[in-house]
Amino acid sequence: MIRVENICSYYGEFQSLHDVSLEVKAGHTVIIVGSNGAGKTTILKSICGLVHPRSGAVYFEDKRIDQYHAHQLVDLGITMVPEGGRLFPKLTVDDNLKIGAYNKNARIHFHESLEKVHSLFPILKERAKQEAGLLSGGERQMVAIARSLMACPKLIMLDEPSLGLAPKVVSSVFEFIRRLKESNYSVLLVEQNANKALEVADYGYLIESGKLIFEGKKEDFDKNPFIKKAYLGL
Amino acid sequence: MALVNGILLGGVLALLGFGMNLMFGVVKIIHMAYGQFVMLGVYLIYTFYTLLHFPLLLSCAVVVLVMAVVGLITQRFIVSPLLSSNRLNQLLALAGLILIVENFALFAWGADYITIQLNLPIIQFGDLFIRTSFLMGFIGALIVLGLLYLFLKKTYVGLAIRSATQDMEMAKLMGIKPASIYYITLALGSALTGVVASFFVPIYAVYPQFGGSFTVSAFIIVVLGGMGNLMGGFISAFIIGIVTSVVAVVTTTEIAQIVVLVLFIAIMIVRPQGLLGEVS
Repeated sequence: MIRVENICSYYGEFQSLHDVSLEVKAGHTVIIVGSNGAGKTTILKSICGLVHPRSGAVYFEDKRIDQYHAHQLVDLGITMVPEGGRLFPKLTVDDNLKIGAYNKNARIHFHESLEKVHSLFPILKERAKQEAGLLSGGERQMVAIARSLMACPKLIMLDEPSLGLAPKVVSSVFEFIRRLKESNYSVLLVEQNANKALEVADYGYLIESGKLIFEGKKEDFDKNPFIKKAYLGL
Repeated sequence: MALVNGILLGGVLALLGFGMNLMFGVVKIIHMAYGQFVMLGVYLIYTFYTLLHFPLLLSCAVVVLVMAVVGLITQRFIVSPLLSSNRLNQLLALAGLILIVENFALFAWGADYITIQLNLPIIQFGDLFIRTSFLMGFIGALIVLGLLYLFLKKTYVGLAIRSATQDMEMAKLMGIKPASIYYITLALGSALTGVVASFFVPIYAVYPQFGGSFTVSAFIIVVLGGMGNLMGGFISAFIIGIVTSVVAVVTTTEIAQIVVLVLFIAIMIVRPQGLLGEVS
């Protein structure tokens, strides 16, 4: 569904990605792991239109999208939940969900989406009128994921959803991701917490200093002793 | 009684504060020529009503639309090209608008003071004498503010504007097109100058330097209330309106303006983020 071919992305003069290629098949959950600063977020930004790769191409359902703007890609069905969720702090939970469904297609299905989101995350109904900035870290992450679902996406990208959260909350975040998988969304997940991430993934990519150095299924990661030691801390 | 008139004036100034806060919050620009836009609005109402003999209310309505278009033009040719440029360039370009509008006014209408003669009654409530023009302006301002509040709270576009104010990058990820939001904001902010101009018509005489003091007032209102904070702007508008009016009655208008500025400086020293502003 998403095909990234040899992209090189820059921030100003700094080259963040060197010839990165990856693929997310429809309905699959794919993860990107790697240490801080490796370029994981840049890959997501290059797909959702916040960064435009200077060379290489990104295809979504065989349509070339790498030079599109972010707001256009939401219409096509690509959403991103950035690090920390980045809810609109002064809007209520309800308003955050409502703005999530801003694009034309999503507005038509607004009530369906809201019901679906309420059944996946029942606590959202209780917190409906609360100001988003006042929620706890785990609740914010949940609202952020729910907000991206309101956009009727085909692909959901998540940037380090477990970052900074308590271990118990981290488990519930991965539980949400599992529910997404079961609902047949395509998910592209970026995580430093490689162990937990690999448990939910169909396929994984390891990135270091802007280059892809390993890819495979969970078993492939487990079988490679060097990768296991360096990145899975085992 | 000066207090009452101050409150009434504050209501109209609150509209100016709102417009400027909206544009700062969304587009992150300070509209340096805001007062000059109001002046242009008054001149245009004069043109339609006195020179072209349109009915007064129609003139006002037309001018609101004309000013909205002026806002769109400003966005297209002045703000948009400079969005990624540094702040100084943006301020200078908008300040350049001041010169353009003032000199255009001088060229089109001459340097003389122009008034639109409307004989409106003075209403008496017991010991209070209230000028109808002030009362109309106040009630009108409250209605417009009410409509703006409903717009921001209840419509999808209003919600989009509110989210763009808080986090433009995330707003893009919701599917909001930044250019559309900028145009709407500039049009709305400029249309408000047309509305304020309509309320000013029976109160002030207009001349090419008229805009200056209102730009300064609008700026003070916005900064005093906390930049981008709409409620703060609302409150500080009334404070400015009341202080100006009361001091002007006791002393003179000029001293009133000095007092307002002194008060502004004092509050800025004590609380630089403004009354309701946040420390960033």
